[in-house]
Amino acid sequence: MSANRITLATELSLAWRQLRREFRLPEYLVLIFALVLSVAAVTSVGFFAERVERAMGAQAATLLAADATVSSPAAITSSVRAQAADFDLETTNVIQFPSVILNADGDTALVSVKAVGTAYPLRGEVRINTQLYAEDFAASSGPAAGSVWIDPRLAGSLSVSVGDEISLGELQLTVSSFITFEPDRSSDVFQMAPRVLMSELDLDRSGLLGEGSRASYKLLAAGEPSSIGKFGEWIDNRDDASLRFQNVEQGRPAVQSALVNVRRFLGLAAAVAVLLSGAAVALSARQIAERDIDTSALLRAFGANSRSVIRIVLFRLALIAAIAVILGSAVGYFAQFGLSALLAQWFATALPPPSLLPLVGGAGCAILALGGFCFPAVLKAVSAPVVGVLRRDLPAARPSAIVAIACGFLAMFALLSWLTRSMLLGLMLVAGLLLVVGVLWLISRSLITLAAKVQNPLVRRSLEGLRRRPNSVSLQISAYSVGLLALLLLTIIRTDVLSNWQQQIPEDAPNFFMVNIQPQEVASVQELLQQRSVPNHTLYPMIRGRLESINENRIGDKGYRDERARRMSERDFNLSYLAEPRDDNKIVAGEWWPADTTETFFSVEEEFAEETGMALGDTLTFNIADKQVTGVVSNFREVEWESFAVNFFVVGSPPALNDKPASFVTSVYVEDDQAGFVSDIVKQYPSVTVLEIGAMIERVTGILNRAALAVQYVFVFTLAAGVLVLIAAVLASRRERFHEAAILRTLGASRTYLARSMSREFILIGALAGLIAASIAALLAWVIVEKVMTLDNQFNPVIWIIGVLAGIVGIWAAGTLASRSVLRQSPLSVIRGQM
Amino acid sequence: MTIIQAVDLSKNVETTDGSLTILDSVSLSLAEGEAIAVVGPSGSGKSTLLALLAGLDSASSGEIHLLGEPLHSLDEDGRAAIRAGQVGFVFQSFQLLPGLTALENVMLPLELAAVDDARARAQQQLELVGLSTRQTHLPSQLSGGEQQRVALARAFVVTPKVLFADEPTGNLDRATGDTIVDLMFSLRAEQSSALVLVTHDLRLAEKCDRVLTVTEGRLQ
Repeated sequence: MSANRITLATELSLAWRQLRREFRLPEYLVLIFALVLSVAAVTSVGFFAERVERAMGAQAATLLAADATVSSPAAITSSVRAQAADFDLETTNVIQFPSVILNADGDTALVSVKAVGTAYPLRGEVRINTQLYAEDFAASSGPAAGSVWIDPRLAGSLSVSVGDEISLGELQLTVSSFITFEPDRSSDVFQMAPRVLMSELDLDRSGLLGEGSRASYKLLAAGEPSSIGKFGEWIDNRDDASLRFQNVEQGRPAVQSALVNVRRFLGLAAAVAVLLSGAAVALSARQIAERDIDTSALLRAFGANSRSVIRIVLFRLALIAAIAVILGSAVGYFAQFGLSALLAQWFATALPPPSLLPLVGGAGCAILALGGFCFPAVLKAVSAPVVGVLRRDLPAARPSAIVAIACGFLAMFALLSWLTRSMLLGLMLVAGLLLVVGVLWLISRSLITLAAKVQNPLVRRSLEGLRRRPNSVSLQISAYSVGLLALLLLTIIRTDVLSNWQQQIPEDAPNFFMVNIQPQEVASVQELLQQRSVPNHTLYPMIRGRLESINENRIGDKGYRDERARRMSERDFNLSYLAEPRDDNKIVAGEWWPADTTETFFSVEEEFAEETGMALGDTLTFNIADKQVTGVVSNFREVEWESFAVNFFVVGSPPALNDKPASFVTSVYVEDDQAGFVSDIVKQYPSVTVLEIGAMIERVTGILNRAALAVQYVFVFTLAAGVLVLIAAVLASRRERFHEAAILRTLGASRTYLARSMSREFILIGALAGLIAASIAALLAWVIVEKVMTLDNQFNPVIWIIGVLAGIVGIWAAGTLASRSVLRQSPLSVIRGQM
Repeated sequence: MTIIQAVDLSKNVETTDGSLTILDSVSLSLAEGEAIAVVGPSGSGKSTLLALLAGLDSASSGEIHLLGEPLHSLDEDGRAAIRAGQVGFVFQSFQLLPGLTALENVMLPLELAAVDDARARAQQQLELVGLSTRQTHLPSQLSGGEQQRVALARAFVVTPKVLFADEPTGNLDRATGDTIVDLMFSLRAEQSSALVLVTHDLRLAEKCDRVLTVTEGRLQ
């Protein structure tokens, strides 16, 4: 008979039988709970985040009126359209150009005409009404041939209403509606004259698009994200400079940063839950490994070979993983349904159904956590000397700390990087954990050394647990601290990061832009705004210019970091000039010029500078009104685009630009009760264009608010995982405590003495863990908020008080509760090893 | 047939104070069906000798043949393969797997040796040790004597050619210990298994065919 003949079925059966019984042991329960929680956090975030992201993507898509657009100064060719069709994308045309319309009395108005296909918009909706100020409704399709929808402002300036005819080119068209909301209207905010929306079908007959017309053409596309991606690649690969592809994420800085942050926050919340569950897995794995030392030695004594024993262990872990994945995925699946129901009122449209993809993530998470934290420990136990069945006094083959920790951290790094979609964030979280464990280990070891020297009996008694079980106590302090650290970090993130994030769009963010204010009107406009008590109404000069060269390298001669950089450099854009730096722009490199400078300097927005490859000291040449303006880049500025204040990529020193033709622009916040503001301005200053951006801000704020709610929900898992770590850490020391208590009671210690002794130890461990966790939480929060999220961090000194108190109360309560059975246990049963 | 043939067995371990000799040039042989007792004071090297003879540990020098196979030239897995289905163990601390029932513990060596009717044979063996009504009990639900009887059933269920017993009554009261010893010797007699018994109990040692005394790592 040979052990090599053990069948896989026998091994599986042994693994199952062992698991079926041991499953009820606290360490297995903690392991399975921790894995279930991990999988549930990952899958619920996976399911929910995916649905929310898709919903938000769709909502963000309404700002483009499509999932992606292809723009061109010439008509979009049929080959592009055909390719979009090949990718199963729905498409429609948008052609935009300036023109003049006439009313029946021959009054004229400069308008921005937009000719659209009947499918417009592919995402979002155009809202219209047929009477000024009446309730609006969503249009089911674009304007019919022969009719136009117009901006309500034209009703005032041209005295036209629904049913009237207007002349546009060679056409007579009937006004059939007023436009109250146009999804992609914000695209060209500064160039926007009142809108006239017409049917694409009327375009040829209008005779408006002759040679040299200033039309811009767009193909709107919508469909599956993968198809959109492929279509984008196809456009990019054509290397046709006239075609410009833009998807939702590239669309607008505010929306883009909101979406990226949502992904990171949801991922971060799940990551912390997984991190904590990982700590609980590691703690229980250690206990399971200790139990496995005896089992594997016995199996090998009876003739099992090491491969067979390893396979039995692997089968058992696989069974645990399977149970965790099934239970965790079910919890995750239902949790996200609950969340969707909870948040239903926040979503204008129903969330798309969940896909099964997050299940893969859940399974991967369980396998990685088990593989990283559990397998090395159990594997080491398997290779313990078989002679251990005879010699109980042999030193136990503890898992190699370095290998176990390395595997654990590697698994964590992989999981966290994947969950946060950022290697940097993953690395920082792992580094943070490593730092915590390292610092705590050092502190506990130092305390143990200190304890050995102290003579005061009370202090000695308080520290006796640390003296008796130095390794176990160090491990517990580390685990408690990790739990507390995460909870504190979440407190900071919840209060500071979320509020910071939401505050990026302040409540009094400007809701009107006033464009095209002539220099001679500046003083009186300012006076009017002052009379109306409109706050923060600085008027900025705005000069149109085109960047011609950087350090005598002509734009277009050398490569750009990306397509966006090329576009930004090649197109006309708005410059301004300022003597003093603005409070809301932060100089991040270089220095602002002296207010009375006579030289030509430029201040450049930092991301624009990075994308276009500008460095401090570079010489820029602009073409402004056919004249060249050359100056040196003296500083880079950080601009908060989310604030909706008027901002410029390039600002010059006054001597550079103050003699150039300029109009002025400002953004103001006007409260609802001043609705007459727009008509007053327009009446008094006919050339000034007032644009309402309140609606757009509302939509972006809505996106951010929903994201914040989703993140808070995911933190529930993280909190549960934090509590689990505390329980796991107490359970981890239970076996030692059983033996210790039995021995002490045999020697005459009363239950009260033992209870007090344990309380002192838990309080000491709690205070220590809380103090360290609070310090590291504050540091990590600063790093994450300032460096990763690039938001402002608010230091909160209360965190230390909360940390220490939470540590003491939480650990004392959890410890006392979990140790009750230790006090109740009869010393005899413990000594007989029947616990 | 010679069950065990050991020649010049030595076992040294490295300590902080240098090399420590636990066994020094021990030679012995065990014939088929023969029972030997190894006695000696605590720390004399009895259990180490048993571990080396059973292939649970490897010797620093010397040769051991177990069931005709050279243990000294085999690795851990090779030694395990020889034990499978041919060697039984009874330990002082019973060493039952806490997660398995009495029946499953007895089935274990049969399953490891890929025996087909493991369950039936294990049930039969449990009946022989008087525990047919406790088959589904976990070790923690059994008394010390019952646990050791399960361990005996587990040891004899494979009809071992040799049984290694390490202080089998060490954790039991005298009356229970006597019952266990009687049971062990009667099962051994039925199966004609050879026995290596490590004990402090000279009364128990006298039940064996030969008594070997180990003092400070040497056979007297």
